[in-house]
Amino acid sequence: MIIKDVVCPFCGCLCDDLDVEVDGQKIIKVQNGCALAEATLTGNNRLPAPIRRTATGWEEISYDDAIRETADILLAADRPLLYGWSSTHGEAQSIGVYIAELIGAVIDNTSVVCHGPSILAIQEVGHPGCTLGQVKNRADVVVYWGCNPTEAHPRHMSRYTTFATGFFVPEAQKDRTVIVVDTRRTESAEIADEFIRIERGRDYEVLSALRAIVRGKGSILPREIAGVAREQLFRVAEICMKAKFGAIFFGLGLTMSNGKYKNVRNAIELTDELNRHTKFTISPLRGHGNVYGSNEVFTWITGYPYAVDFARGIAFYNPGETTAVDILRRGECDAALIVASDPGAHFPHAAAAHLAKIPTILIDPHHTATTPLCRLQIPCTMAGIDAEGTAYRMDGVPIRYKKLIESSYPDDADLLKRIHDRIREVQGA
Amino acid sequence: MTELLVKNACVIDPHNRISMEIMDIPVRDGRIVESVSAGADIIDAKGCLTLPGGIDSHSHVCGTKVNFGRYMSPEDMRAGRTARRGKMHVTSGYYVPTTYGNSYRYSAMGYTTVLEGAMAPLEARHTHEEFTATPHQDMLANTLFDGNWAIMEAVRAKDVKKAAAIVAWTLSAVKGYSIKLTNPGGTEAWGWGEDVSSIHDAVPNFNVTPAEIITTMIAANELLHLPHSVHLHCNNLGKPGNYRTTLETFDLVPDKNNGRQTLYATHVQFHAYGGTTWRDISSKAEEIARAVNAKPQIVMDMGQIMFGRTMTMTADGPMEFNLYCLHHNKWSNHDVELETGAGIIPVLYSKKSLVNCVMWAIGLELALLTKNPFQCLLETDNPNGAPFVKYPEIIGLLMSKRYRDEECATLHDGTEQRTAICALDREMDWNEIAIMTRAGQAKALGIAAQGKGHFSNGAEADIAIYPIRCRDVDPATEYRKVIEAFRKTMYTIKRGRVVAREGDIIVEGANSTFWVNPVVPDDLNVANDPEFVKKFEEYYTVRMGNYPVQDVYLPRGKCIRTEAAL
Amino acid sequence: MHQDGGGTVRVILKTKERKKPFLPIEAETIIPSNFLKGPELTVYEGNKERLLSDLFTIVVEGTAVSPDKVEVVLKGDTARIKRVGEYMATGTIRIQGDIGMHCGNFMSGGVIEIGGNADAWLGREMLGGSILCRGNAGHYCASGYRGEKHGMRGGRVEVMGNAGDFCSEYLTGGEVHIHGSCGDMAGVEMKGGQLIIEGDATRPCGNMKDGMCMIFGTVHRMLPTFEKIDTKKLPDRNVTVTVYKGDVANRGKGTLMIQKPHDEGDQHPANTLPCPATT
Repeated sequence: MIIKDVVCPFCGCLCDDLDVEVDGQKIIKVQNGCALAEATLTGNNRLPAPIRRTATGWEEISYDDAIRETADILLAADRPLLYGWSSTHGEAQSIGVYIAELIGAVIDNTSVVCHGPSILAIQEVGHPGCTLGQVKNRADVVVYWGCNPTEAHPRHMSRYTTFATGFFVPEAQKDRTVIVVDTRRTESAEIADEFIRIERGRDYEVLSALRAIVRGKGSILPREIAGVAREQLFRVAEICMKAKFGAIFFGLGLTMSNGKYKNVRNAIELTDELNRHTKFTISPLRGHGNVYGSNEVFTWITGYPYAVDFARGIAFYNPGETTAVDILRRGECDAALIVASDPGAHFPHAAAAHLAKIPTILIDPHHTATTPLCRLQIPCTMAGIDAEGTAYRMDGVPIRYKKLIESSYPDDADLLKRIHDRIREVQGA
Repeated sequence: MTELLVKNACVIDPHNRISMEIMDIPVRDGRIVESVSAGADIIDAKGCLTLPGGIDSHSHVCGTKVNFGRYMSPEDMRAGRTARRGKMHVTSGYYVPTTYGNSYRYSAMGYTTVLEGAMAPLEARHTHEEFTATPHQDMLANTLFDGNWAIMEAVRAKDVKKAAAIVAWTLSAVKGYSIKLTNPGGTEAWGWGEDVSSIHDAVPNFNVTPAEIITTMIAANELLHLPHSVHLHCNNLGKPGNYRTTLETFDLVPDKNNGRQTLYATHVQFHAYGGTTWRDISSKAEEIARAVNAKPQIVMDMGQIMFGRTMTMTADGPMEFNLYCLHHNKWSNHDVELETGAGIIPVLYSKKSLVNCVMWAIGLELALLTKNPFQCLLETDNPNGAPFVKYPEIIGLLMSKRYRDEECATLHDGTEQRTAICALDREMDWNEIAIMTRAGQAKALGIAAQGKGHFSNGAEADIAIYPIRCRDVDPATEYRKVIEAFRKTMYTIKRGRVVAREGDIIVEGANSTFWVNPVVPDDLNVANDPEFVKKFEEYYTVRMGNYPVQDVYLPRGKCIRTEAAL
Repeated sequence: MHQDGGGTVRVILKTKERKKPFLPIEAETIIPSNFLKGPELTVYEGNKERLLSDLFTIVVEGTAVSPDKVEVVLKGDTARIKRVGEYMATGTIRIQGDIGMHCGNFMSGGVIEIGGNADAWLGREMLGGSILCRGNAGHYCASGYRGEKHGMRGGRVEVMGNAGDFCSEYLTGGEVHIHGSCGDMAGVEMKGGQLIIEGDATRPCGNMKDGMCMIFGTVHRMLPTFEKIDTKKLPDRNVTVTVYKGDVANRGKGTLMIQKPHDEGDQHPANTLPCPATT
């Protein structure tokens, strides 16, 4: 059986035009997707049952016992942490927030290792953006700054930018100028019309310089800025100011290099300046499929998109203090629930190592780099495969994941609901 | 079966022409009934003012740009925060509260129904998710069509039926309630960084004018028999001299509906400016009110500003960018492909600013100069003019000339030359306030038929009991008591359940979302039109099959079917 | 026991050993005026409310009638105690060793003295009063809160050691004096007030709108959007500084004075100092 218009849950592109062939309860073929989609949807390495660590290895336990034990661990903690959320659907994310509120926990999501700095910048200067279809239909200048979509978001250029035909851009690449800015010549740079190579950690200086040029104050600049010739910056600024519609996309090259959120802020302020001349937008290339969803859900419930601390009975937000990485690195937290993410693989060593020292529970369908750090792992469905639910694309467009196959695994929203109810029950007693 | 009897209520129910009568209100299973048994729960209203639940006919509380406003404003989130308490979740935000913040604060004020001011169809799912998290108010969604490509093509082809068919498909797909036009044509021009400056400007590339969009959509709206009229945010919002645009727009509006207005013009204060620049801006409220007084087919709402900080958020992208150029505050923008736009920027309305003082005066003038209170409703375009928690103060200003005079004395001294506010003596009475805050909305939105906004037999038992006895208070002099009373009900009852008691929310909510399904004949259904489908799949970035909002998002949805006259 | 009008009270709080010493303590109740009243104060340890006496031994010396005569002394393992001095308007707080985050938040008067290092956000959103940190200060020393347009508005923060990154972000008024060096982006978004750095700084004053910053050590990675205006002699220091105006990228009219000439082709890596108070 072929299911059409399937939504791939892997990356922030949330391509929704996949055709998936299903045989019984098995996905056997994926059409239209990229290699990452194929691997995600056809992968088959799921943990069969909940497991608990023993002195010598692991033992299988029932879902009931796993839920009870999770609730007990969280209730006993003085500073519990609920982390992850980016690969599951909004329904589960909401319940995660309600649990954190009930037990006075800190709840955080994978923004902390990815576009948290973008959020901080937006909180200072706002976000002049648009949905991806605006770019597809109008953009004649596309800038990729500090990111490599060819590898990390393989269909971004064919669905939304360079190679996509749009209403006002019928000849796609011929009608578009692509500028790539990076510290090394990536695969994405190979298709660029203009490649700017910046010295590592110096994007801020180049962005300031571009702003000055657009303001008409380029004469004060030195001959070279961060390894880039002034002439090239003048040329690129000219291309941008003469654009009919420019779109900037950026990634970890800005968010995770020196200055972090200040880099992103500077890029946003450049976009603001360009808007005085022509139409320009800027957008983060979100990594995880539904990380933006966790930002949206956290925000409408608590007011803040990540790093929310309920310890004082209010929602308190202070990245650097209430972010998961910092809390773990400082050894502050005494219990953790990890859902739909892999901090074992993505966190700095000091932070990940702390997870092994405290009671950590992992809700995830697969054995991952986080599994060795936890005491208890509970497998569940995979949003977009055997569970349906809401996800938010990197531009904020909400799309519903389809359920492609049935499985015997519980939906993580149901799992979390049971944990939530168990906690309520114990608290009420 | 649950029964409730509200005793000794001093009822004002304009829909049923009841004005300050002491009576009992029997409720059974969430509806007003003739009588209840002796076993009913009793609430003693003690002769206090009892109104149907408040209805907000234009408020930005749920959806993409509202959430943008929240997460870009951690400084506002912390300013308005409350702790978890009893049944109440934490809340954050003063001028852009979280969904629970909105719900609790509206409930404390006695409001039980809210129309979300703007929902982009592509992002409707987000709005509906937030509706469910605003659990103590029934919700409705104004659905944006101002920059809709398929609509503009139908307008250019002068094909009203086609436009109607597109509206019908879209509203039922995304479970919207009504047609919203925000700066029609302007939001598409903003896709290129441009705007339109008159209703006869051609929208670039589409070659239709705002006037054509408005008239076509009004015709389509009436062909579809939608319960609400077209809901319009006029072109040229906020620009000195824009009153002309507003009057020209009003002149376009025929009288096509016996039950309600044919055009709902929203936040008209922002559209009532004379002068040519910020220096000589003046109030044209008189001219606007005169036009509305002569046209029963138009209903407007005030769009009152109140001094202090707040957040502006609208689909009017170019207007928000202009504010950014003026004030340099943090600015967000979010154009939605093939549909509309959005802009968000915080503002400060200050008494030191003559312009702001004129704006403040205009909103009040509009209300005081409109003869029929059904035609000028109390709104602030929350949060654009002010957060809705300021409604009680506006009530105080409308009911008391003394309060207005005291406020006028603190304004910029240039205000008196630019507006007539200081000269207006009218003081609204209790009945008129009840109209401006519920009965008028129910009529304008077409939800009186759904049992909202009145206490007729069979109506929904949404009841707000305010701690004030009308006959014991002179609102003209004791306006502070009036304001205090409207801030916090003794009881807010929704569908027969007490949800709020003196500001505390005591149950978990279970709201409904009202939406329309206008049924068109199969041959006109755009889902069967290969051209429509082809363009959809080619230019949108989501598949047409993934676009409609699934039923699961409206756990207690109330669908209103209409038969189109096509 | 009677006291005269001019009496001072000293409240000495010494930390007790804790079962989970890595849990942060939130102690915004530790401000001098709170110690005039009788009842026991509470603080938070993680998500649990605790009595002050659960976590500290409390010794009171002397009596006072007004809060400006109250001196609070903190001793022991104080590096994870947050929000001490928050909203303080008068009186004195002396911390012998290190202190946790948010020390002196919203302070409007009085004196805080820290013997060791201060964690991040020292003196956040300060309005008045003075803070002296004898050791190093962490990131965001004398800065603002996320999303606000203004940071520190008044008062004085002096750090004898180094400061971390983003020192004085959004500085709006008051004085900040760092005797050591700063990390990355000191003075970023400055719009008023005065920032003096005796040591080194990297990429200072990005996006500066107004205010004054003086740097007497080495400036690494000077931003390209500052315009050289003049040189100026500073008589009380007997040095000559180069005066820049900027940040031109941001229509800024701030003043940045630098003593040592910086190298335009500077290849030094960002001089980011580790957060000094705790690991």
